[in-house]
Amino acid sequence: MVDQKLLVEEVKKIVSQEDVKYVIGYKKGTYGFAISPAFAYSPEYVDKFIFNPLCKKNLAVYPILEEKLPLKKGEKADTRKIGVIVKGCDSRALNQIIQEKGQKRENLVIIGIPCTGVIDQKKIISKFPNVTDYTDIEEKNGNYKISINGEVHNIPKEELLADFCTSCVAPNPVIYDILIGDEVEPWEPQEHNNLKELNEKTIEEKWAYWEEHFQRCIRCYACREACPLCYCKECMADMLTPQWIRRSVNLSENTAWNIMRAYHLAGRCVGCGECESVCPVNIPLMELNKQIENDVKEMFNYTAGMDVDEKPLFGMFRPDDPEEFIL
Amino acid sequence: MTTTQPKAEVKEFEPNIIGFLCNWCSYAGADLAGTSRIQYSPNIKIIKVMCSGRVNPMFVVNALQQGADGVLIGGCHPGDCHYQHGNYLARRRIGVLKKVLEFMGIDERRVRMTWVSAAEGRKFAEVIEEITDDIRKLGPLKQLKRVNEW
Repeated sequence: MVDQKLLVEEVKKIVSQEDVKYVIGYKKGTYGFAISPAFAYSPEYVDKFIFNPLCKKNLAVYPILEEKLPLKKGEKADTRKIGVIVKGCDSRALNQIIQEKGQKRENLVIIGIPCTGVIDQKKIISKFPNVTDYTDIEEKNGNYKISINGEVHNIPKEELLADFCTSCVAPNPVIYDILIGDEVEPWEPQEHNNLKELNEKTIEEKWAYWEEHFQRCIRCYACREACPLCYCKECMADMLTPQWIRRSVNLSENTAWNIMRAYHLAGRCVGCGECESVCPVNIPLMELNKQIENDVKEMFNYTAGMDVDEKPLFGMFRPDDPEEFIL
Repeated sequence: MTTTQPKAEVKEFEPNIIGFLCNWCSYAGADLAGTSRIQYSPNIKIIKVMCSGRVNPMFVVNALQQGADGVLIGGCHPGDCHYQHGNYLARRRIGVLKKVLEFMGIDERRVRMTWVSAAEGRKFAEVIEEITDDIRKLGPLKQLKRVNEW
């Protein structure tokens, strides 16, 4: 795991640079196993920065949310850079955003951290439900060392590891300015748990499965807000002319929204798992994302966010693309 | 005098199909089918678009929500696109959309794509017949249909 001192030291150096506005990182949360994003404008603040297996949040979402107010007369635009701490999947998200020209590479300072997998909040909370104080977690020899009220628990990694981490293709950042710590050995990506089972179902069973989930959707759009790649200025779901999906919460509209969300992430989703972990009604959105990722890989041999010079999936074509479905 | 009540017949399901046809090839092909008096089933409602690349996949989802049982997207043959490569882009998009729908449990045969050139009136009629047959067998689309529409 990453050396805490080294992280603080390196980030301090970056924050004190003249051309850096602030650096986004992680700090301790206020409750249980929560982690907060932290924004360091000054080197002193960086002392709060941490990195441990609980740091699941994808910070690539924040540079996009940067508000750019209209300039007053004579005022000059702030062109200072923003620093971001990224894990493997976050760096892929940034890569994808840069590829789509959502952000400029020169406006970012990317601090890469090799990641050995992160903990699923829902799993750890179900294991230790009544933890109120912030709890630190250490990873050692394939075990997570958790100390709660002076009691030390050693939990095997597989029990708490987030599902999407097992199918990770890039534990090391693919794009960075500085890398903190040594690169880790990538592991063999495994297929997502339920996908095989789901694909063997008949079409009616598939619909029954998704109907049950979509029925529960309350359309809070948390999946959209948490996603680093959902950064359209105006989302199609919010448009009024034309109104693509109605505001009412019913099965038809929920399904349409979920088709839309999944489709807009086709060939762009980097599998960071944010959408699924923020979903208040536990819709398995990653199953959908992973399936599309596999389909895209199979059809076009394309993986999102691996190469910054590649063109977006739907912005290019090859004359020999599959077309067996065409009449 | 007795008024004869019309018999309550069980009507066979007639599918509603929306066709997004490109202005330069497929629409002209449909036009040719009409002017050459070729018979084809009247289930298709045609919407003209400038290019098959104009068809946003949400058009398809929206059509299915608003009561269509199937959607057809027609474009020029590869290489013949009026806008150089609109149909290539459409091919990718619709290909992925079909996969998404299939995975969610909506039969992918409801969304079809075809290449019809301006000279292929006969082929256009055949394609329509084939799609109508397919969707008639699949039955009405229940999953996505919008409720409370007025």
